[in-house]
Amino acid sequence: MEILNLEGTEDTPKIILNKKNGIFEISGRSLPEDSAEFYRPVLEWIEAYSAEPNPSTDFTLKLEYFNTASSKLILDVLSALEDIKGTKIMWYFHEDDEDMEEAGEEFSELVEIPFEFKTY
Amino acid sequence: MSEEILKALTQLFAIITKQDGGVTENERQFVINFFQTELDQDSIKEYLELYDSYSGYSKQGTAGEEEKNKLTSVKDSVKTLGICKKINKTLTQKQKVVVLIKLLELVGSDKNFTPQRLEIINTVSTVFNIVKDAYQLIETFAISEKIEGLNFPDILLVDSSESKTADLQKHVHAHIDGSLVFMRVSSVDMYFTKYMGDQANVLNGFIMQPNRVYLFSQGSTIKTQAGDALYYSDLVANFNEEIKTTKLSFNANIEEFKFPNGAIGLRDVMISEGPGKLIGIMGASGAGKTTLLLTLAGLEKPSKGDILINGFNIHTEKSKIQGVIGFVSQDDLLIEELTVYQNLYYNAKLCFANFTEVQLHLRVMQVLENLGLDQRKDLTVGSILDKKISGGQRKRLNIALELIREPAILFLDEPTSGLSSRDSENVIDLLKELSLKGKLIFVVIHQPSSDIYKMFDKMIIMDTGGFPSYYGNPVEAVTYFKKATHQVDSNRGQCETCGNVNPEQIFNIIEAKVVDEYGQPTNKRKVTPPQWHEMYTKQFKVNRVEDVKEQPPVALFIPTKIKQTAIFTKRDFLAKLSNKQYLLINLLEAPLLAIILAFIIKYKSAPGGKEYIFRFNENIPAFMLMSIIVALFMGLTISAEEIIRDRKILKRESFLNLSWNSYLLSKLTILFLLSAIQTFMFVVVGNLILEIHGMTFAFWFVLFTTSCFANVLGLNISSAFNSAVTVYVMIPLLLIPQMILSGLLFPFDKLNNLISTKGKVPIVADLMASRWAYEALATYQFKNNDYELSYYNFEKGESQADFKAAYMADELQKRNRFVLENFESKNDSIKRLVVGHLEILRGVLLEEPYKPGFEKINLNESLSPEKYSKTMGLLLTGYIEQYRGHYQKIYNDNVLLLEKRMAYDEKNGFNINDEKNKYHNESLSDLVKNITTKSRLIEYNGKIIQQINPIYQDPKPRGIVDYRTAFFLPEKNLLGLTVSTFIFDILVIWMMSLVLYMALYFEWMRKLVDSFGKVNIPKKK
Repeated sequence: MEILNLEGTEDTPKIILNKKNGIFEISGRSLPEDSAEFYRPVLEWIEAYSAEPNPSTDFTLKLEYFNTASSKLILDVLSALEDIKGTKIMWYFHEDDEDMEEAGEEFSELVEIPFEFKTY
Repeated sequence: MSEEILKALTQLFAIITKQDGGVTENERQFVINFFQTELDQDSIKEYLELYDSYSGYSKQGTAGEEEKNKLTSVKDSVKTLGICKKINKTLTQKQKVVVLIKLLELVGSDKNFTPQRLEIINTVSTVFNIVKDAYQLIETFAISEKIEGLNFPDILLVDSSESKTADLQKHVHAHIDGSLVFMRVSSVDMYFTKYMGDQANVLNGFIMQPNRVYLFSQGSTIKTQAGDALYYSDLVANFNEEIKTTKLSFNANIEEFKFPNGAIGLRDVMISEGPGKLIGIMGASGAGKTTLLLTLAGLEKPSKGDILINGFNIHTEKSKIQGVIGFVSQDDLLIEELTVYQNLYYNAKLCFANFTEVQLHLRVMQVLENLGLDQRKDLTVGSILDKKISGGQRKRLNIALELIREPAILFLDEPTSGLSSRDSENVIDLLKELSLKGKLIFVVIHQPSSDIYKMFDKMIIMDTGGFPSYYGNPVEAVTYFKKATHQVDSNRGQCETCGNVNPEQIFNIIEAKVVDEYGQPTNKRKVTPPQWHEMYTKQFKVNRVEDVKEQPPVALFIPTKIKQTAIFTKRDFLAKLSNKQYLLINLLEAPLLAIILAFIIKYKSAPGGKEYIFRFNENIPAFMLMSIIVALFMGLTISAEEIIRDRKILKRESFLNLSWNSYLLSKLTILFLLSAIQTFMFVVVGNLILEIHGMTFAFWFVLFTTSCFANVLGLNISSAFNSAVTVYVMIPLLLIPQMILSGLLFPFDKLNNLISTKGKVPIVADLMASRWAYEALATYQFKNNDYELSYYNFEKGESQADFKAAYMADELQKRNRFVLENFESKNDSIKRLVVGHLEILRGVLLEEPYKPGFEKINLNESLSPEKYSKTMGLLLTGYIEQYRGHYQKIYNDNVLLLEKRMAYDEKNGFNINDEKNKYHNESLSDLVKNITTKSRLIEYNGKIIQQINPIYQDPKPRGIVDYRTAFFLPEKNLLGLTVSTFIFDILVIWMMSLVLYMALYFEWMRKLVDSFGKVNIPKKK
């Protein structure tokens, strides 16, 4: 499977999705102009991956900020992962960032995937 | 709204308003107003506190400027998602659209449209699964304060200008300041309105705040200050492309409708409509609602006035509007034995000959889905008593039967009667949807709920005596009648808070009674029907819709007559197959009867009583009669109910103009098939038990023919009478004469002198199929059995010669002697006898081929009373002796030949006695030889008639068409040809069936019965 690798910018997160090495990560700030368009390749990649996933998938979300529109798409990403067995979400938040911690908790209630909360 | 949802909404409001500078006073007020519409006073406080805590209202002020540009917190974003997901689980799409508009309005209350707030609302809309384009429309509509920016096809602008402001908009002109904007959210089929201007316009009785978005629900009305009334149906029609393109006009002008008894059913009804309307007809019972519906549908003809569809007269130009009208009566018109799917499928097949099987299937499935019946498609419909599907489903299926062919104009008589309120609403919803597709629909409705009532585009209210007292907008009706009686609050048709309309109010007003001084209502009405009518005609003027001069839209394609027959047959066949009881009874009936009958009449018949021998069974002649009666009975019973049962279905299908002949032929195909099976089983079983050999086919054919005759007869009475009971009462009336005049129970020569003819079967008996069938059976069994076949001709010769030698010669001699002794007598009475005797002698001699010595003599002259002489008498005496001798010899010759033949057969291993035991029946033989008769010959009308041995006689036709003979003659005259009685008689029965079929086709019997009905005393309708 091809590797999806997007470099992060001021408004868009850095994304690495690598099946071979088992690296799945979205990190940084997410407030793209058109979030649906931005996350489309990610969702497509996950869909393809779900056809033949690794035995376990540790998906890392290490976000500093995301806007409301992005939140909807992150939820879509999480929902897509919901169907893949052995998926775990590694939710990173800055130890001072209570909001991000709570956001992670809210997400974990909306989808049925185990969440692991980590600070950095 | 549930507590959970309200809490969720409160949070959503809070999250949105706290963005970008926090909650303003206006916004908070908006939320309070919202709570006020949803909650009671106490709970408002509780929820407001909740709102304040979420939005941080109390902390405001301390936040200051820095808060303003802060990004939406990630926590709020995710929370929003959570709330929306929760809402998604409970609210319908329609409700979600309303929530979305509320959110936009909330933000709009202080015009604080910041990108972050809109982003949240936009995200909410995505989670609600509202498509982007729709959101765009809704957002623009809610936010925009100028009409120019509203460039969408789903926007309708109503203002006083003549043109629209943007290309895609729709526009309607009205007397109004400012502009009234309507938006359609097509995905959920909802309409919203908003007024931009300074006037006080009234929506459903309440003043519209400028720039506020209102839900424009079914049946709403907006009144402008100038007094224009804008009705929901009219405005909504502007969005509907289908209505615009449908070419339909319906103009009814019924000046008067009279019942057959002279009472007036309708007066002065004017109705004029275009496409895409759902029109209700209401009225007290007996006001003429159904009469009006029937008249509009063209099922009844007004005594004065006409009904035009696209300018074509519904009564005189039927062919032009074929298939345009659909009518759903109150009755159940389903074929109970078929499944839901089959009912629709065969109906569709009769409507769309041009469809392939796949297309038909898709069409049926589509209609079933639209009506929510797709899950029930394989259930048998069942009778009303033995319900397999619910009442609502039955009703919907009845409607579906008409819907499937998509008539342009549909009439329904109380489609909601007997349905639950939910089912009623579903049915009317469906009709509403259809009307939006351009159909014109008239519905007689009784006690509609508020929601249903408001769904109608127009309402026709009828008053006792057929007076129309209202025709127009339904909600207006309430205000009109309130106003007319000067009631308080008369300009509000709907309830202030819930928007409910109470249609009962109208009837309370219309039928209000005058109260006497004790406060008791009297029988007198405050306002009489003519007064209401007069008031109505003064106040309202029906705008006549211009006649569309075009053939109305029809999707009908009737199959050929042969195909129709095939479809009818298949449908009927399937229905019969699925009716297990019917099938079982009809198939078991015949063999059972055969077993019972044959078993009872089989006894040890051999001389000495040791065993059963067919030859000596004395019950065979009676068995044959019983077989015929059984065939008649079975034939009648299977057919008698056929048409009655289908009558309602036929009424429905009459709008399709299907072939009556095809229908009848399909009935006959099935009935004949069933009769063939029944009679075959009867004959096989009966003949097996009674050991009747070699007769199976002949017996079957006679019984089958008889049964078919009974089938056609049964269909005749079935089409003539209205109830199955009448028909079954008719059966004995038809069967008993068949028994009386069958020829076996009562010999034909011993019937009332009025009807009998000696030596011939009476004419009345010739009208009975049983007599022909019996004769065919008896002669065939006697003459054509394996034993008799070889000897019949000898026996015939023997019998004919014997009769002449033994009886005729004596008779002639006796008469000649009398003449010889008395021809010179002067006594008048003796003279008369002489004349009679001479006539007989002359008659016999003229027909006699053997008359040596008399060839040259003119018998007519020499045997007349004037010319008769002693010489002649003596000559005759001599001849008669010679005649006797001649036939004696012939007789002897035949006896000898017969013996020789038998001896020859015996020699060839043929046991004559065994054969006779097996094939020959003595009782039958006695019957057809008529040996019980006292006198072998009688004198009748100047002729000697041979009474004995009809089976050995030859027919003596007096003309080419003279078919009449005595009973049991072996042959008959068929237009100059001599054919065997068996064939002749069967042909006669088929001819009778053919005549009956014609009677059925032209419905003679029905017309006859109807003409009796008309003589009756006038009946009340």
